[in-house]
Amino acid sequence: MRNRYIERFEQAQIETKEIPQFRAGDTLKVAVRITEGNKERVQSYEGLCIAIRGEGTGKTFMVRKMGANSIGVERIFPLYSDSIEKIEVLRRGRVRRAKLFYLRDLKGKAARIKELRRK
Amino acid sequence: MEFIVEKIGMSRTINVESIPVTLLKVIDTNVCEVREDGKALVAYNSSKKLNKSIEGQQAKFGITKEFNKFMTIEVASGVEAGALDVTPLGEANVVKTTLTTKGKGFQGVIKRHGFAGGPGGHGSRFHRAPGSIGNCEWPGRVKRGQKMPGQHGNTQTTVKNEVISFDAENGILVLKGSIPGHNGARGLVRIVK
Repeated sequence: MRNRYIERFEQAQIETKEIPQFRAGDTLKVAVRITEGNKERVQSYEGLCIAIRGEGTGKTFMVRKMGANSIGVERIFPLYSDSIEKIEVLRRGRVRRAKLFYLRDLKGKAARIKELRRK
Repeated sequence: MEFIVEKIGMSRTINVESIPVTLLKVIDTNVCEVREDGKALVAYNSSKKLNKSIEGQQAKFGITKEFNKFMTIEVASGVEAGALDVTPLGEANVVKTTLTTKGKGFQGVIKRHGFAGGPGGHGSRFHRAPGSIGNCEWPGRVKRGQKMPGQHGNTQTTVKNEVISFDAENGILVLKGSIPGHNGARGLVRIVK
């Protein structure tokens, strides 16, 4: 159990954040704020969430996508950071584990994930 | 001005330039007797067992049973006997924290003083030993202050930190960066600016 004062300190920062519920296997579109010199712009990054880690203000999630020339790209984002403008859940995946690192060894059709169908 | 604190642990902020923070709890302190040199005898709560000498002191200063440990700290001018006022912490920007560092036991020179050590392989036969500690028959002694293996850590250290925020209601002081010691360690916070 974490210390209640640390929890309160972190909760005060997190409370106002509106973050959709998602888990590993979901396809996400993350809008990231990027500062170049004095200019600020928003870049979106789309991929499959393969892991969620940590708790409190240190909670992060990992998004994997296939880049140019079929090179896998993985980015780790802090979930509550102010640099994340928006997180959009595009598709819910049917997976049976919390960490999908096995996808790193698969490619093409084998690396697909079925869409979750609710009855 | 000094205050008795307990280290709670570390956390971070969610700003774009995320700041690592350390949380401290300011312990309730009762001023017993103010001395003329700006210091005061204070009492605070510790898990110490009561004995007759403590009870005698408590009766003398008219304080309740939970204030069972005594200490002399610097206080602001004009402080009177009674509960110590923590509001000056709300206006503080920089504080110095004095705590005992984590004890590492008896350590060699690599961990204790950051010596480089020797190569691991190629038959070097010199790995983590301190090496030469001085000259020969002249001067016939080891110079003072030579860095050698020994007790590492468990010493009193003072560090300077910026204050991020202070919650007077719960007595939570939030500092930027880290401070020495384990979680739950007790020490003193002195207001610098």
